[in-house]
Amino acid sequence: MDLVRHLECFVAVAEESHFGRAAARLGMAQPPLSQRIQRLEKHLGVRLFERTSRQVTITEAGTLLLAEAREVLARSEALMATARRIRDGETGLLRAALPPDVSGETVAALLAGFTGTGAAGLELELHELSTAQQLERFAAHELDVGLIHHPCDVSGLELGPVLRRELGVLLPGDAAAAGLDEVPLASLTGYDLILFPRTAAPAVYDDLLTTCARNGYTPPTVRHAQGASFVRGLVLSARAVAFSPRDAHGDGEGDPSQRPASGVVWRPLTGAPLALRHSVAWPGGRGDAAVAAFAEAATHALRTTAGAMPDLPSRPLHLRPASEYWL
Amino acid sequence: MTDALARIHAAFADAGVTGRLHAVDIDTGAQLDAGADQPVCTASVHKLCLLVTLHEQAAEGILDLTEQVECPPEGRTTGPTGLAAMLDGARLSLRDLAYLMMSVSDNAAADLLLGRVGLDAVNRTTARLGLTRTRAVHTFGELLATIKEDAGPGGAGALADPHVVTRLRALDPARTNRSTPRDMTRLLGAVWRDEACTPEHGAAIRRLLGLQVWPHRLASGFPFDDVHVAGKTGSLPTVRNEVGVVEYPDGGRYAVAVFTRTARTSALLPAADAVIGTAARLAVDALRAP
Repeated sequence: MDLVRHLECFVAVAEESHFGRAAARLGMAQPPLSQRIQRLEKHLGVRLFERTSRQVTITEAGTLLLAEAREVLARSEALMATARRIRDGETGLLRAALPPDVSGETVAALLAGFTGTGAAGLELELHELSTAQQLERFAAHELDVGLIHHPCDVSGLELGPVLRRELGVLLPGDAAAAGLDEVPLASLTGYDLILFPRTAAPAVYDDLLTTCARNGYTPPTVRHAQGASFVRGLVLSARAVAFSPRDAHGDGEGDPSQRPASGVVWRPLTGAPLALRHSVAWPGGRGDAAVAAFAEAATHALRTTAGAMPDLPSRPLHLRPASEYWL
Repeated sequence: MTDALARIHAAFADAGVTGRLHAVDIDTGAQLDAGADQPVCTASVHKLCLLVTLHEQAAEGILDLTEQVECPPEGRTTGPTGLAAMLDGARLSLRDLAYLMMSVSDNAAADLLLGRVGLDAVNRTTARLGLTRTRAVHTFGELLATIKEDAGPGGAGALADPHVVTRLRALDPARTNRSTPRDMTRLLGAVWRDEACTPEHGAAIRRLLGLQVWPHRLASGFPFDDVHVAGKTGSLPTVRNEVGVVEYPDGGRYAVAVFTRTARTSALLPAADAVIGTAARLAVDALRAP
């Protein structure tokens, strides 16, 4: 018998406590489902369910077997995934994703690095996807590896090293703070802040605003905008500032020279409190040589072309009583 | 109901969490399912299973709830509240230890009780009540020890690193104390209908759940003087849970279980705590809709 398929039926009936619902979930009709459960009971020599005319309840024996049945199914899925990766490794396809905010230079460096490694002969299918989209595709087994933004829900994932791309501030050239080499966040007091729409990444958005507040800058109003020219326009016309990574700003090393053409200047923030944080991520247990090659190429590309640095050592953490744990 | 589900999912997303919820009308069985069968880490929510086990053993005469327990300061499970935070020895009855365990989630009190009844007894109780997907695999002290071990030399500060978070066994339902939202509402329903224990013991369990001090999660969704909220929270790095029962003066009573994982690794996330109440209220309002 196909034990895995029969165990799937067992787990579905156990979880739904209902043959009809379990059949619907499995996408099959009810009679063959009942037959499979009977066959499995015969095969195992154990009665799994008590059936009355109205309901089905799991037996003590069924309860004892359920956890192991789930484990067999999980292992079976992992085995299939590994087999698929091995197979795809032969046919040479790695499905990978990058977020839209990575510069063209970084993408080019990544591709050069990837093809230069032992992954030669492997085809890279590269997609432009937000972190939320990547997490969805990981869950649906439609993506092998990606570069994600933190913070995000990392349950079930494995990560490469977390890198930070320092954020500086874009401000009007005539602002007092524009005369400084480094701008303390608190000196932006009174300026509105231009930020991406919160729905795009609520956790990243909240993290940025909390760090601003912690460092003495609570903007009177937060305005939402995304396109680079639109953001610059708002900085020039309204009393507003925006944050931008050094690499996206485009100025070279040394003095962050003014841009008279646009009237908008970029300055680093004192103490580098704000950063975009990235890491390569892949579904737990599904990493292999191709994934590792991508992770290494992406990490290297971010370090060399986007000035990404290893994540900073963490700040002091004061757990409060409602945290319920203590280390 | 579909509208309520969409609003619940939107509330979770807005608060930056992945949320699972199950809400049931204790008397009619009407329910709302937003990931009710997903495996979740229970954290301190498992103290409810322990409490029910304790009362079951008292009902069977295996132990006496007024039995006095020595609580020396040495070897106590750590924690920020109750005996776990106290410096000197104490002597308390089993039922007063249970009060500390439920009202302020006292880890030391919980492990003293767990030492008395045993982990296996807790699993037998949950199995007897039909909670097929609920299982305790370690004590609260052992649970915290896995976090300490997995976090490494950086200590609590390292828990801000997503890389560290991904390797915490305490956050993997397959390797820690676990349940599902549906199992927890089933347990609460049994307690409130006096099916889990005798009415006398059921009342004692309900009293303790009503004495929990935290206002920031489930209770925050019901800022109404005439509505009673009883519950038990559970928290770990990036994990925020609460299961409880909301009772209205018209007799309506609803078991709600909410389990969340935050995207941010920060310890303080008021919006993530509050969305547990917000989501529960959306669910209860949907169940109460005419």
